[in-house]
Amino acid sequence: MGIARGPKPSTIWALALAGGVAAASALAFALTNEAIGGELGEPLVIAVLSDWVTVSYVLCGLLAWWHRPASRFGPLMVVAGFANYLTTLAWTSSDISYTVGQSLDFLPPVLFLHVFLAFPSGRLQSSFERVLVVAAYVTAVGLELVRMMLGGFGPHNLLEVTSNPDAGLVAVRIQLLAVSAFCLIGVGVLAVRRLRAGRPLRRSLAVLVDAFALALVMIALLFVSIVVGWSPIAEIRWATFAALGLAPVAFLIGLLHARLARSALGDLFVELRGDPAPADLQDALARTLRDPSLTLAYWLPEFGTYADLDGRPVKLPSEDGRATTLIDRDGAHVAALLHDPALNDEPALLEAVTAAAGIAIDNGRLHAELRARLQELRGSRARVIEAGQKERQRLERDLHDGAQQRLIALSLELSRLEERLEADPEARTRLDQARREISKSLDELRAVARGIHPAVVSGHGLQVALEQLAARAPVPVRLNVAVEGRLPEHLEVAAFYLVSESLTNIGKHAEATAATVDVARANGRLVVEVADDGVGGADTERGTGLRGLADRVEALEGRLRVWSPSGGGTRLRAEIPCAS
Amino acid sequence: MRVVIAEDSVLLREGLERLLTENGFDVVGSCTTGDDLLLKVRSYSPDVAIVDIRLPPTHNDEGMQAALEIRARHPATAVLVLSQYVELGLAMKLLADSAEGAGYLLKDRISDVTDFVAAVRRVAAGGSAIDPIIVSTLLSRRRSDDPLDQLTPREREVLELMAEGRSNQGIADKLVISLRAAEKYVSSIFGKLGLPSTGSESRRVLAVLAYLRS
Repeated sequence: MGIARGPKPSTIWALALAGGVAAASALAFALTNEAIGGELGEPLVIAVLSDWVTVSYVLCGLLAWWHRPASRFGPLMVVAGFANYLTTLAWTSSDISYTVGQSLDFLPPVLFLHVFLAFPSGRLQSSFERVLVVAAYVTAVGLELVRMMLGGFGPHNLLEVTSNPDAGLVAVRIQLLAVSAFCLIGVGVLAVRRLRAGRPLRRSLAVLVDAFALALVMIALLFVSIVVGWSPIAEIRWATFAALGLAPVAFLIGLLHARLARSALGDLFVELRGDPAPADLQDALARTLRDPSLTLAYWLPEFGTYADLDGRPVKLPSEDGRATTLIDRDGAHVAALLHDPALNDEPALLEAVTAAAGIAIDNGRLHAELRARLQELRGSRARVIEAGQKERQRLERDLHDGAQQRLIALSLELSRLEERLEADPEARTRLDQARREISKSLDELRAVARGIHPAVVSGHGLQVALEQLAARAPVPVRLNVAVEGRLPEHLEVAAFYLVSESLTNIGKHAEATAATVDVARANGRLVVEVADDGVGGADTERGTGLRGLADRVEALEGRLRVWSPSGGGTRLRAEIPCAS
Repeated sequence: MRVVIAEDSVLLREGLERLLTENGFDVVGSCTTGDDLLLKVRSYSPDVAIVDIRLPPTHNDEGMQAALEIRARHPATAVLVLSQYVELGLAMKLLADSAEGAGYLLKDRISDVTDFVAAVRRVAAGGSAIDPIIVSTLLSRRRSDDPLDQLTPREREVLELMAEGRSNQGIADKLVISLRAAEKYVSSIFGKLGLPSTGSESRRVLAVLAYLRS
């Protein structure tokens, strides 16, 4: 994208001067020609209204051209202004200039139609629009020429071939109705365009410009009223002229809106210095380019696609009629902007914005990539934890169903044997001893099994499991479990170990007389809090117990905090994300 | 006395069958699942059902579910639940309404044959058998400002035995004291804890457990 070369200042000034001269000469024509103005009212009023249109188009066109050299809209308006001036040549008494001027008599409404449809790029957007505008020009000028050939335009008409006023009347009616129809079709085209664009972007601007579609309707109304023979109302004509002359100002404001956008570039720079987060960056770009629908898509080389901020793939070019600007660096894709096609008329602005945002976009892309990887990592970690959980559960069950049951059965056999050996006290004593050994083994095995997986948690849920822990705790425990239903098993197990370890620690170190355990679920987190009234002074770094707990909690992306002022008891709070 | 057993470990099930048969019980059925157990209880109306808390297929609490159902639907059949662990919540669930004809023991107790057989008899006869571990965990979590502190060590022992479901005679035997002395301890305990003295031993168990739980 290069910045289009604009007109030279001298060109602008020369054209402005020409416009001024044209306006002055039109005024002179009107005031010096007595034949003018019979039906339109005072010559001065007509001349002023016509000049208003001419000057308005030329000056607004020049301003637009100067500020928006890339758009053809400015030159189009300038041409429209001078063409409007040419119609005033009909007010002269020279045969040639009169003939030229009169032949262009119907041009202004068609020019307006053309300018309107060409806003803001200066180009007609579809072949239908081009056909429409060409047909309107042909009708306006062609039928005028035919009418002039049919006579009835006075002595200066060089084109008069015959004098047939009736045929002339038919021609003028066709002309009026056709031009009206073209204007109304133009309004229809505009409506379709707006519907297709979905929500009107740059709303205030669009509304302002669209309001002038009313002028097209007014022209149509006016022409139709002439055909059906209503007495022409001069004020309505004047109002139509005034609206026609006001339209370029609206167009100009519309175009200069983009000019204002450039000053927003400064704000963008300030914002970029703060290294905005990707979502903020998109907002900043949208603000600067005044396109609330703007989407920033990052190029993800690994996936070979563009993706939006949430990582959803974005198809380019977009199918909903939005324009795309690719942002590449060193020949490689970096990102893309999906925006209102109207922004294509401001290539310089787009380029400036994308250049300014380049580094931030790069950062944002790295950020997005990092997040994608993190997401992947999270997924695999969760799978590892899940698999580990399953394995531990299996081991615990094996121990329970296997070794433990066998030991109990063995112990039972020994008991029965013992009963039969009433006569041999020594054997009985030894059997009893063996039984005690088995009992100890069972206790140890149970502790091991519980360490591998707390079966009671998966079997009966957190509430029952914690009740049991509390019952077995070395100090009285006030237990409060505010969790509805079951949680994912790994969370229940984590909470169980957290409470279990904490209560063990309290028994070993705290010298406490009481403890409280609170388990609740709030804002998508499982909160486990264990507090005691002991001596405090626990250290997360020294004791492996607390460190191990912290690791366990962090593996689930949770956070463990410990308050343990010396002499002030210990409070331990774990928060673990828990999707509801 | 007629017994039905639900236990999925073959070794243990056969051990139990032999043990109970040797001690004069009539083992009318043994099975490995809760559904099977319910069927057998319905068919044989045994005096007592001995149930492992964890049974196939999930090994969660099928046994407990079956036990609760027997309690609800077949009040004539007593239930003795065996568990690998102390699961206080489950024990309390089992004894929620009454301790009559209900027991909850750790599997380890089986190997103390005399005590175990006595517990099965007690439960089958409409009494109760609560594992000492459960009683002691309930006792251990009492707060410091507790009326239990007013009990003498001897009274505490008696309280624990009472909570296990033993009769006055059973307490006397266990502590090697006279029946008269045991009765005196019991009424003294009831007085100190402000519990209404009730006739039935299993109502007494429930009252004591409820007191300990509160």
